[in-house]
Amino acid sequence: MYIQAFFVAVFGLAAIGFGVVVFRTSSMVRSALALLFSQTAVGCMFLAMQSEFLGVLQIMMMATEMSIMAIFMVMFMMDPGGLGGMDMSHQKRFSLGAGGIAAATAIAVALLSDWGPVTAEAPDAAMQTRELGFEMLGRSMLIFETAAVTILTAMIAATATAIPAREPANHDHKETSR
Amino acid sequence: MTPVLILALLTGAVLFGVGVYGALSQTNLVMIMMGVELILAGALVNLVAFWRFLHPEVYSGQMFVLVVMTVMAVEMAVGFGVATARFRAKGSVEMEEAEDLKG
Repeated sequence: MYIQAFFVAVFGLAAIGFGVVVFRTSSMVRSALALLFSQTAVGCMFLAMQSEFLGVLQIMMMATEMSIMAIFMVMFMMDPGGLGGMDMSHQKRFSLGAGGIAAATAIAVALLSDWGPVTAEAPDAAMQTRELGFEMLGRSMLIFETAAVTILTAMIAATATAIPAREPANHDHKETSR
Repeated sequence: MTPVLILALLTGAVLFGVGVYGALSQTNLVMIMMGVELILAGALVNLVAFWRFLHPEVYSGQMFVLVVMTVMAVEMAVGFGVATARFRAKGSVEMEEAEDLKG
């Protein structure tokens, strides 16, 4: 239990630390890498909490997602290297207050709630994966299928949004050329 | 009450707060998306902790985590689609300059 608490605390601190670095560095590439490390630390927390399948899934998914995000950052940002020292933030005091209140409220709920009895033992990794498979293809199949269709719809919608609009056909030009 | 559950919940709470700060304070669309990712990461930590320490025999908890991961992927896909359209139309993804989403 103490070893588990130690690793959850270390990876939790790493996730928070890298999460703060995301908004403190001027370099957008560093920002994307900090988010990658933060999400990887979250995945390692899952592993420390004996949720092996979700931990590995989180790390693999976020590694891909954040690499793509880094490419988009370099493509779209005016100062991706952060050498110009541009400030790309606004309403800092309000944001800090809102973030602080949100965190404080969630911390208060975590500390003051009675969470009931805690289960010390978790199923082993093979059993978890097996049972999750049965859950996905059994009771939660509709949710699973809905999630799959939602991702497919989002991919098609994102591609349709991103491709440039077609120029309207110039019929006059065709008629004159005949 | 196990200290590990509390540690995980505290981590989730702080990640949520950092994400809210980022989503509200940044002017760039991609940076705002990063804030939303951190908010969802905070939710994920809480969900896994609840599943592991309160109901490890109920796999709907893990299913819920997969649904939140789907939301993260959808948010990224749609966000990048909007960012690409916006950059193509206006040459910038600064949200202070955006008054409408028309390309």
